[in-house]
Amino acid sequence: MMPSVGRRRALAVLTGVVLLAVAGTGCGSTDEPVDASAPVEVAITITEGRAEPQPGRVDAKKGQSVRITVTSDVPDRVHVHGYDVGAELPAGQPATVEFVADMDGLFEVETHESSVLLFQLLVR
Amino acid sequence: MRTVPELLAHGVGGRQDLPIPFAYAVTGAALALVISFVVLGAFWREPRLGDAEAGRPVPARVARLLDSAGWQWALRCLGLVFAGYFAIGLFFGPDVDRNPTAGLFYVLFWVGLVPASLLFGPVWRALNPLRTAYLLGAALIRRDPRRGLRALPARLGYWPAAFGLLAFVWLELVAPERATVPVIRTWLVAYALLMLVGAAVFGVGFFDRGDAFEVYSDLVGRLAVVGRRDDGVLVWRNPLEGMSGLAPAPGLTAVVVVLLGSTLFDSLSNAPAWFRFVQNTQLPAVFTNTVGMLVLIGLVLAAYGLTCLLAAKLAPGVRPVDVAAEIAHCIVPIAVGYVLAHYYSLLVLEGQRTIALLSDPLATGDANWLGTADWSVSAALVTPTGVAMLQVTLIVLGHLLGTVLSHDRALVLFPGRSAVTAQVPLLVLMVGYTVAGLLLLFAG
Repeated sequence: MMPSVGRRRALAVLTGVVLLAVAGTGCGSTDEPVDASAPVEVAITITEGRAEPQPGRVDAKKGQSVRITVTSDVPDRVHVHGYDVGAELPAGQPATVEFVADMDGLFEVETHESSVLLFQLLVR
Repeated sequence: MRTVPELLAHGVGGRQDLPIPFAYAVTGAALALVISFVVLGAFWREPRLGDAEAGRPVPARVARLLDSAGWQWALRCLGLVFAGYFAIGLFFGPDVDRNPTAGLFYVLFWVGLVPASLLFGPVWRALNPLRTAYLLGAALIRRDPRRGLRALPARLGYWPAAFGLLAFVWLELVAPERATVPVIRTWLVAYALLMLVGAAVFGVGFFDRGDAFEVYSDLVGRLAVVGRRDDGVLVWRNPLEGMSGLAPAPGLTAVVVVLLGSTLFDSLSNAPAWFRFVQNTQLPAVFTNTVGMLVLIGLVLAAYGLTCLLAAKLAPGVRPVDVAAEIAHCIVPIAVGYVLAHYYSLLVLEGQRTIALLSDPLATGDANWLGTADWSVSAALVTPTGVAMLQVTLIVLGHLLGTVLSHDRALVLFPGRSAVTAQVPLLVLMVGYTVAGLLLLFAG
């Protein structure tokens, strides 16, 4: 037994309403790149496999510079996923990664050897 | 003190989606609720799905071609060609991020299997190189491929696929070094051996419900507009007919629950609260993440079980196990909607990157076998607003299909007036899954 034409139409209307309503929520938001001249600065210290401050999210505007300074107690490497940039971390000495956040999205910043998640960079 | 480009990234998909705006999550949740009430109250009172004659047969000539041994073997050869190409990077390529193996396996194959199955039905059943290898082996020793050493026990059902799927999602989401070639190689060799042994023992029918990837492709493929009816006829049909025709079998619920639970875990593990917790427990991350994934799958299962108990209580003469077996298919569209929402941008971006890498499977740096080596990744289809909108739409559509399926099945399953009351727990369950998915897209 197939759905009658009326039922089908009702289902089609319902689907349409859903799509329209969802589309409607998208109006009014913008994702224009905003020019923020000051770079985003993040400083992290890694001791015995733990990041300080505790890992969280760091916001950046699309197009903004990001400067990450990491000090690790053991030799390691820091890596920014997605942007695929990084820096060697000699033990006990701060090292800096700097780049322009020109892609939107959520990117993990992690150490390479010990796989410690330092923070997530949120670019929008 | 210098910024250097990295040569060896670990992990597939360096970029993840931005969290969806809260307003989107709320709108999606509200729509899910409205849909549930509308479906519960306003629509049909007699079951409309499950007709053995449903669908319009495809033209006889097309059906003859698609059913012919020649066509089936052509597809199997195509599957062997794909597998052979994949094997170049897998067995002979260096373990660097320019090796296309991880992208091929996790993105083009695993994620790509969903849209491919939605369009064409259970494609992996037709292509599966393991099935073909077994068929060729059986032909070589002149053995009937359908007959194994013993009969396939009915109570085995989908359980091998459920465990295979669990093993895969653990590899994909939890395993250390999971995007490296040796890890993928080890996992795949073990998986292939297990499947071939299973087929040798139980015959070729083992793949039908034992191979996780075939089962996954079959579940998703039931939502395709073309499908094979129980009587074997190829038909154009309402996707809901295909989904409704999924026969209950042992382990089916487990497959669906693992699928939904693991994808929810993938979102959860991305939330700051979770990774802070992982770092603070001081236990190995692989342990905490494994437990986390199992707990989330367990929660999805517990909600399912509780719902079935409640529904059975409200319907005289219906056992909870029957409810559990009969509503598993309603969860599939919800899981599929969530999986598509979750992986859309990964498929678009990493898919393009993988196709470019495919031209150089040995990662020599100068090969261009397929002419795609110079492709650059276009993000035109992945704007934050567009992705967020698509994600909510897919999740809400999955919810819509799930509730329609559950309403229809409730009319069959629950006697008389209890059909309405007993399906309330089912709707609550689906709203719960959908809202959980939306919240995780917001928080993850």
